[in-house]
Amino acid sequence: AMAGVMETEEQARHRFQLELEFVQCLANPNYLNFLAQRGYLREKPFVNYLKYLLYWKEPEYAKFLKYPHCLHMLELLQYEHFRKELVNAQCAKFIDEQQILHWQHYSRKRTRLQQALVEQQQQQPQAPSHGNTTSK
Amino acid sequence: MARKPTKDKLLSTLDDIEVLSRELIEMLALSRTQKLPQPGEDTDILELLVQRDREFQELMQTALEQGRVQQEMQALEKEVEKRDSDIQQLQKQLKEAEHILATAVYQAKEKLKSIEKARKGSISSEEIIKYAHRISASNAVCAPLNWVPGDPRRPYPTDLEMRSGILGNMSNMPTNGVNGHLPGDYVSLMFIFANVFLLSLLDILTPQYPWQSADVSMGILPPHHGNDFGLEPPGHNKENEDDVEAMSTDSSSSSSDSD
Repeated sequence: AMAGVMETEEQARHRFQLELEFVQCLANPNYLNFLAQRGYLREKPFVNYLKYLLYWKEPEYAKFLKYPHCLHMLELLQYEHFRKELVNAQCAKFIDEQQILHWQHYSRKRTRLQQALVEQQQQQPQAPSHGNTTSK
Repeated sequence: MARKPTKDKLLSTLDDIEVLSRELIEMLALSRTQKLPQPGEDTDILELLVQRDREFQELMQTALEQGRVQQEMQALEKEVEKRDSDIQQLQKQLKEAEHILATAVYQAKEKLKSIEKARKGSISSEEIIKYAHRISASNAVCAPLNWVPGDPRRPYPTDLEMRSGILGNMSNMPTNGVNGHLPGDYVSLMFIFANVFLLSLLDILTPQYPWQSADVSMGILPPHHGNDFGLEPPGHNKENEDDVEAMSTDSSSSSSDSD
């Protein structure tokens, strides 16, 4: 039966905050493991709710997300196989490690570039010494 | 009803004439030597002969007429053939034209679809840059340069951040309070999501983290949902086993840069 409730604008705004928080919590693999172990990921209403949350992918909503990783997790959570795997603590740990490594990707890249630049400058020939007027 | 063909009538008339002529000639030949056995027979035969001749002439006329008609028929048939082939030609051209138009219409529709799609997805570059700043500045997508193992910062909300949010504080609120008019299952769902490991430190006052506050004055609201999520939503489930290998945890396709 449809529980067609008319919520006030205030309630809707409050619900917006709730869902904003909750969807971003999904970026945390430990939280996902927590949910999985307590069986929430097996509940049909929960699965339906996860599908409903996909609206956060739309640009007008996505711009409020501080932790965009959550969208990727949300997409993965649409698959039963993924939800089943999350019960496994090692799986969650693996995801956590990979996620952090990926998070560091750009920093590492930037560090590498900086190092390469420094090395390149060190290899350049020294500036000509003063007073030497002979041409090369 | 099948009438006797003109040809047969002509031939039979000719046969009659031939027979009558022969009889007449025989009679004439005989009459040289002897008297007519039957008086008036020669006139009978003559009459018959004349009659047959008249018939013959008539039949010839008929035959001529029929030949003319036959020629007309053939001419008309040729006309019909010509018209037929004209019609077929036009049919072919019409079919071709229809095909070309159908293709053109289809392609135009596709183009319109992609235009609509592009229009839908268009975002001002300024907004994108603003957003890029936002998620980069907070180290949400790129680790801080001085990050070392042991640093508590993460690309996702940590326990502390989760506790300080609305969700973490929900168990303090009576369910008849702010949420009083939300559908019952929804309330219990959110309550559950607030979950146990947040409850322990709820009395600690922690500052609001920026990840929770959206600019409420923008007036954006979440999509309305009328049901209690217990119902099957329309459409298919993502029980797509074809993608299983992409989902498994030991897949090498997971993004990682292990150096």
